[in-house]
Amino acid sequence: MARKTWNGWVGVTIFFFVLCNLLGADIPPPAPGQFFVDYSKVIPVQVANQLNNKLTQFERDTSNQILVVVFSNLPFGASLDDYCQTVFRAWKPGQKDKNNGAVLFVFLKDRKMRIQTGLGLEGALPDITCKRIIADEIAPYFKKGQYAEGLTVGVDTMIAATRGEYKGTGRTKKSAQNEKTSNTQSVVVLIILIAIILLSRKFRGNSAFGNSSPGWYIGGGGGGGGGGGGRGGGDDGFSGGGGDSGGGGSSGNW
Amino acid sequence: MLKIIFGILGALALVVIILVSTIIASYNGLVGQSQNVDAKWAQVQTVYQRRADLIPNLVNTVAGAANFEKSTLTAITDARASVGRVQLDPSKAPADAAQLAQYQAAQSQISSALSRLLVVSENYPDLKSNTNFRDLQAQIEGTENRISVARQDFNTAVQSYNTSIRTFPAVLLAGMLGFSSKPYFQADAGSQAAPKVNFDFGAPANPSH
Repeated sequence: MARKTWNGWVGVTIFFFVLCNLLGADIPPPAPGQFFVDYSKVIPVQVANQLNNKLTQFERDTSNQILVVVFSNLPFGASLDDYCQTVFRAWKPGQKDKNNGAVLFVFLKDRKMRIQTGLGLEGALPDITCKRIIADEIAPYFKKGQYAEGLTVGVDTMIAATRGEYKGTGRTKKSAQNEKTSNTQSVVVLIILIAIILLSRKFRGNSAFGNSSPGWYIGGGGGGGGGGGGRGGGDDGFSGGGGDSGGGGSSGNW
Repeated sequence: MLKIIFGILGALALVVIILVSTIIASYNGLVGQSQNVDAKWAQVQTVYQRRADLIPNLVNTVAGAANFEKSTLTAITDARASVGRVQLDPSKAPADAAQLAQYQAAQSQISSALSRLLVVSENYPDLKSNTNFRDLQAQIEGTENRISVARQDFNTAVQSYNTSIRTFPAVLLAGMLGFSSKPYFQADAGSQAAPKVNFDFGAPANPSH
């Protein structure tokens, strides 16, 4: 029950995301629930899950939040650096007091990528290191069309560079959050459900809207479960800790 | 009779208390906003300084390349020197729009000189294959991006501050308490097509952009 509703919200969010994209607005996609996000649907699910597990474990070990996001292309007219900064600030990877987040952005059709570092990882991942990872580790694979291999190597080198910078708590922000908010969430969901039921009763017979509204609501959930960034949507994964970036990192082509 | 006088006095006291607490709250809010602007200004200065610190190293590396265009190098060192002439207090955001504009003009002179140098360097294969130079490129590129972020953050802070001092009730007090509006960074002329420093790695056919 609660899960279906959650999927419904994902559906609604994705619907608005798509709408915004169609309108050409430079609005970042909603924060994903996983560390590895593939909007391009090019990376095999197996590789995606593998990287996701690796990055989830990495947060448990070190509290660093490293994300990999594969887009098909940049939004129309957006500049690479500005867009990555916008998305970083919207998703807030890294713990609040440490700012230890980093995101590897890939825009396949544009053949562009960028590693954007949070303020707290600028020491472990200085611009020079980011550039080396991009140009020497990832780009050679990408040039051959081996995206999964390139991403795996990229993740491994980013992990190697940032391990030891901070100590982890043995759990992710998301799992800690899940525990705390699961009660509140179910209450909120319950209230929303009751409100919807009451509203639809009130409007029933009054207009077509009354009858179709709840149906559309659940229908949106079906669409949302399949599409979008959050693969699997298990209990553990990514939840932005509140980290900030000052624009550090490096960009490159292949 | 006495009751009425006490009543009026009480009402007056209430009004005074409300007024004073409004002024205090408003004042404290403005102080916080103003300090936020100063903090963002300090960040802007830091990233500009970071870029300035990279220049001597860059110039040395590039000067080593066989017969590199001397005019590009002197343009950079001149631009850096001209920034030194525009002295602004690093701990306090500028209050004078003309002063900020002058500072910005000097800094954008460096930006264009740097991007010119990086474009010219494309013609020097031994420079392009130089690791030291590539590292410097990465640092300059990253610093330019940090500058743009810091400037945006600064403008956001100024905007929020300027809005506060023009909003009731602060608008009645701001002048009295010595808060005046602060200037913004202006978008650089032609910044749309601008010194975005972008590099291609080994892309054989490099479209000129």
